[in-house]
Amino acid sequence: MKRSAALGILLVTAISAQHTATYDNDRKVTLKGAVTRMDWVNPRSYFFVDVRDSAGTTANWAVEFGNPLELEKAGWKANSLKIGDVVSVEGIPARGPANQALALSVVLASTGKKLFVGAPQQRRAAVPAQPVPRWPDGRVRLGPPLGKKGYWGAASTPALLENTGAKIPMNSEGILANLADAGRIAPFLPWAKAVYEYRQRTLLKDDPISRCIPPGGPRQFQMPNGFQFIEQRDLGRILVLLGGSDRNWRIIYTDGRAQGEPDEVVRGYYGNSVGHWEGDTLVVDSIGFNEKFWLSAGGLPHTEALHLVEHISRPDFNTLKYEVTVDDPRAYTRKWNGGWTVQWVPDQEIQEYFCEENAESTFVR
Amino acid sequence: MCLAQQGHPLTGTWSGDWGTTATKRTPITLVLNWDGKNVTGLMNPGPDAIPISSVFVDVSTWTVRIEAETKDSSGKPVPIRAEGKLEDLGSYHRTLTGSWQQGAAKGDFKLTRD
Repeated sequence: MKRSAALGILLVTAISAQHTATYDNDRKVTLKGAVTRMDWVNPRSYFFVDVRDSAGTTANWAVEFGNPLELEKAGWKANSLKIGDVVSVEGIPARGPANQALALSVVLASTGKKLFVGAPQQRRAAVPAQPVPRWPDGRVRLGPPLGKKGYWGAASTPALLENTGAKIPMNSEGILANLADAGRIAPFLPWAKAVYEYRQRTLLKDDPISRCIPPGGPRQFQMPNGFQFIEQRDLGRILVLLGGSDRNWRIIYTDGRAQGEPDEVVRGYYGNSVGHWEGDTLVVDSIGFNEKFWLSAGGLPHTEALHLVEHISRPDFNTLKYEVTVDDPRAYTRKWNGGWTVQWVPDQEIQEYFCEENAESTFVR
Repeated sequence: MCLAQQGHPLTGTWSGDWGTTATKRTPITLVLNWDGKNVTGLMNPGPDAIPISSVFVDVSTWTVRIEAETKDSSGKPVPIRAEGKLEDLGSYHRTLTGSWQQGAAKGDFKLTRD
């Protein structure tokens, strides 16, 4: 099944997932009118515009135009567009009857200036090569060097898939360009493959992330707003703070405790994680997952039998290497491995992000 | 907001009824679990629970066949056979609807995942 080509427009690619389910890429809409309201909120900013049709009827449209953090990085500000400004918008309308669109271009009528799109994104200068930061005892630090700031940002792949060397085209949300590739993503049991294909066919409309459910499992390391490690060595644990979802966290115990019994651990989104170091690699064993999340963007299913072994290392200052072994005999025919790298975002803090912030603005969910 | 179970679509507790007419209905509760090889479960859990003897799922169409055996008031075995289709797979309140045969009685059923 062929899908719409991934949109290559800067503004669109800067926006987080769930747009394929929300917006109808096969249609376009042109809107012109005065701005009535601005919601400059993370993760999705909206402005509202009164649009009069040919019959003289006015309708208020919600126009989604980007992630404010990305927009600010590109030099835009909340007051780049003011209430009362007349704009012309080219966009993709929402599926269904809602007066909502995803902006592809926004032009200020009074000056012809393009807003929010088209500006070259200020590419961050490459961080000079520097040694991997280490604790005084020589162990690798997964966070910033002492006295510095930073966090882990973009992952090198949008979704988890088995490491076979095959290149499987998919968009930034994990939607396959060709559904026939589904069987190459992972060694599914028949029911799991059917569920995965259903989620793909329905354009991920039921993705728990779109309902602000935590991104459990490997997905936490592929969220658009990044993450960081807080190593509490005196407490024998590492916290993974997530920039996405609802700013929640995961605990990896490194105090030497044994893994719990599968039937006794309290099931959760991040599982019961115990970690230890093998040289410069943090090895994390996790069980005790609930079934309320997707293992990855794209809709990989799992069951409560899920057992993950993650290898997390920092081969150089700017790169985190994430490798995971997925063992879920109720969903997959065998153990399988996947992984990706994540880039360091230097000298910045993760910004405030609450998934539910957009609940008022987002009509289509 | 409901937190949907995202694992095997049949796993969970299902409630609804079956009947031979729109007004003559009998409540039923199914508790189903995917163990990695089979879907197992119970009908009407409690002192009068009925073990489900087999569940067959065709994942290409999400059609489901459930077989069990209960007893009538004299203790005579009464076979139960339900055939239905799973709808709205991604929803917490997904449904299973179809035909229900219990002994000589034939009717329909509708179950919704709790």
